[in-house]
Amino acid sequence: MALDRKLAIIDLSTGKIETKVIPLDLRKKFLGGRALDAYLLYNHTKKGCDPLGPGNTLLISGGILTATCASATARTHFMAKSPLTGLLGSANMGGFFAPELAWAGFHHLVIKGKAKKPVYIYIHNGEIEIRDAAYLWGKTTTETQWAIREEMGDEEIKSCVIGPAGENLVTFANIMTGIKNAAGRTGMGCVMGSKNLKAVAVRGTMDVKIAHPVEALEFNKRFIEQITSAKVNQTQGVLGTPFIWGATNSWGGVRTRNFQYNQCEDSDDIEPERIDEICTETMGPHHMTGCFGCQVHCRAQYKIPSGLYAGKYDEGPEYTSLGAFGGEPDCKSAVTVLTGNHLVNQYGMDNLEIGSLIAWAMELYEKGILTSKQTDGLDLKFGNDEALLEMITRICYRKGWLADALADGGIPASEKIGKKSFDYLIQVKGMNNLHSDERGTPALALNSATASRGSDHLRSRPAIDLYHLPEKVLRRIYGNPVPYDGPLSSDHTEYKGKPWQVFWQENCYMAVDALGICKYHTVFLGATLPNFDDWPKVIYYNTGLEMTPQEIFEIAERSNMVERMFNLREGLTRDDLKKGDMLNHRYFDEPCRRGALDVVGAKIDKKKFMKMVDELYEFKGLDKKGIPKPETLKRLGLNKEPSHQL
Amino acid sequence: MDKVLAIEHEKCTGCRLCELVCSVKHDGVSNPARSRIRVMKWEAEGLYIPMACRQCDDAPCLNICPVKAISRDQELDFVRVDHDICIGCRSCVAICPFGAMGYNSIDSKVIKCDLCHGDPQCVRFCDVKAVNYVSTTQINLNKSREFAKKISVVSKEAEAL
Amino acid sequence: MTIDADKLSGAESLRATRSYGKIRCHNPTCMERMVPEPGAKHAKCPTCAMEYRIYWVNSTLPRVRGPVWEVNRKLAEEKLAKMGGK
Repeated sequence: MALDRKLAIIDLSTGKIETKVIPLDLRKKFLGGRALDAYLLYNHTKKGCDPLGPGNTLLISGGILTATCASATARTHFMAKSPLTGLLGSANMGGFFAPELAWAGFHHLVIKGKAKKPVYIYIHNGEIEIRDAAYLWGKTTTETQWAIREEMGDEEIKSCVIGPAGENLVTFANIMTGIKNAAGRTGMGCVMGSKNLKAVAVRGTMDVKIAHPVEALEFNKRFIEQITSAKVNQTQGVLGTPFIWGATNSWGGVRTRNFQYNQCEDSDDIEPERIDEICTETMGPHHMTGCFGCQVHCRAQYKIPSGLYAGKYDEGPEYTSLGAFGGEPDCKSAVTVLTGNHLVNQYGMDNLEIGSLIAWAMELYEKGILTSKQTDGLDLKFGNDEALLEMITRICYRKGWLADALADGGIPASEKIGKKSFDYLIQVKGMNNLHSDERGTPALALNSATASRGSDHLRSRPAIDLYHLPEKVLRRIYGNPVPYDGPLSSDHTEYKGKPWQVFWQENCYMAVDALGICKYHTVFLGATLPNFDDWPKVIYYNTGLEMTPQEIFEIAERSNMVERMFNLREGLTRDDLKKGDMLNHRYFDEPCRRGALDVVGAKIDKKKFMKMVDELYEFKGLDKKGIPKPETLKRLGLNKEPSHQL
Repeated sequence: MDKVLAIEHEKCTGCRLCELVCSVKHDGVSNPARSRIRVMKWEAEGLYIPMACRQCDDAPCLNICPVKAISRDQELDFVRVDHDICIGCRSCVAICPFGAMGYNSIDSKVIKCDLCHGDPQCVRFCDVKAVNYVSTTQINLNKSREFAKKISVVSKEAEAL
Repeated sequence: MTIDADKLSGAESLRATRSYGKIRCHNPTCMERMVPEPGAKHAKCPTCAMEYRIYWVNSTLPRVRGPVWEVNRKLAEEKLAKMGGK
């Protein structure tokens, strides 16, 4: 059986290590990856546990397809209670870690307790060791990875690590692997730091079985052709994810100067085409790289062309670095963006969160809510590139009053700053919004408000809503595998039919995260990319598990519901601005000031927005308060959770 | 036939799909440790170089094999190992200057590229064409043409000046 | 359940709907298709007043790099003035 895969439970307090085979029954209910992690988190944490205490549990996993002969099974998922939001913590990264973990004999790790002193976990062909990490403490993300390789004398070791930000318990510290692959959101690096866990290093030369290798190989070829022939992926392969920021900025969907503008004007120097020129100048024409088994190769290589860090090698920048260090602070310099990206990669911090927080602080400074005394004399105005870069380092090391406050996250910082600072904080559930502006796009606004890990674009965003696809094409996508005959509209300024698209995408992305593949391989940015219909084949050929598209959809619904149950257990309340499915008032009150002709003046109609939330709840099987109806829990087989099956 | 695996490492994105499909094709499992092609990486510099057997004309592995288990395949012109004769002494592993002769400790067998009997899967799956299956004369013609093109551009520019 | 290997999935059958060489106007009420001349650096929407800078990912794949900033700013300012303030 190709699915006899293992999970390890590692208790850092006691040093006890247990390994178990993942039961087939749980595979059929949750597949793997993020979906199975959700089940494990719900079962392995207690209500109200301290996110930074030994009672929090960190899950690390690959998906059910990880390391198999499927395309782009590079993703590693992390889950724990979030120190940033107090709700679901969940983050996903590319690179080479999860496949190596699979070849080392494990698909899921459950890490509990807290080590007395800095340690790292080393996993090699089924063996698990907890090792001393004193010599690694204080090192940056890449220094740590190279040091582990040197210590063990093996260049093929893959590690996921924290940098200084995780050690300093910055609540949005991330976990990183390689040069720039980051599990960025919800402060999973902070959880590792709180456990005194500097790294998890893996190395494996064990087989991952393939149920039907001949068919898997042939189908993979067909699958890859479907993926690489998509225009969006051809564009990604040249310009990387900055192209999304560029395209969005073009029509006025990019948050600028915190939330004051929806477009970064005269942005030529930070547009993807300019970034690509710098990559070509510093790394040559073939500067795009890929994660494990992926032919999209959306990650650029570059060297910083000038400034304090001139000559430093790094990878990216992604959409979020353009937003964080370009659009949001209104610093329209490629060198600043590339430098900011390098700093957060080295420190191990979420670029999205830090960019949003600094832009927020800049608006507060502009409005006189923050004084120069509070900034320790730093002239924190928009467009001050040096102040921006200085703040990144200060936040990582918690230097100064403001940086220390921001390192705790937006809501705690707003409580320290006081006055009306909270009103300007663009967040949902305590996590800052992506640097996109959803005032002109109700479907995307609904997604940001209701995503399970706080404001987020990778949980349920119907991004193809922007493509003006004919209704009959929309029906072919959104009417499967579960029939839907309600309204659907090509018009992305419309409210009708959008809740169904958000519901469908929520399940699509959950399935992708359970499979362990990349979202550029599904209906995220491209309408013709694989989805529920394609996955039964790839699952069957690789694992032998027979699934219908409908069953996969139901697994995703079930797993999303477990995330919802976790959030409700930890205090999610529907309209609560700090812990609910609600947007900042500026979405409803302040019209867009820039962008394409008819984006100017756009804002979200609150009444229609609330109706969309109602409709989404109905599709999810929640009541008006956002709590699962008993019949929903019964239908999804969740009425006896926590069931402690694993 | 004089076709070989020609690697243009500058084009390699480092994704290692070649390693995956090699092990799936030959062994029916996913395991880069079994792959006949391996991508060597210098991640701190962003340098990736796929390495595979060069099918040498005067092959050290073939020469050193004490039991003559290694021979040249006449049809496809590659160096092959006969596992029925091989005694597993690994002299070939030690002598190969490219590290292209591997040893798979799971099955206790030496492993090397067999060009998938004329349809190398690493080539088939490499979308960026960092690994190609071409005739040796073509490689050198391609290189000549590429460099000549540079010369032609430069001379045209010189004329314009 | 049996796997029908040859059957095209929904995504695969939608592949026929892909179009090449075209871009769309970004104005939500317009969304007009435009076919820029191969290699063209600019495109003006024939229906509304928007003007765009074009980048070619490859010879059949143009993309909107961004608006022509001066035109974009002017249109926005006019619209805001009409709406009665900024």
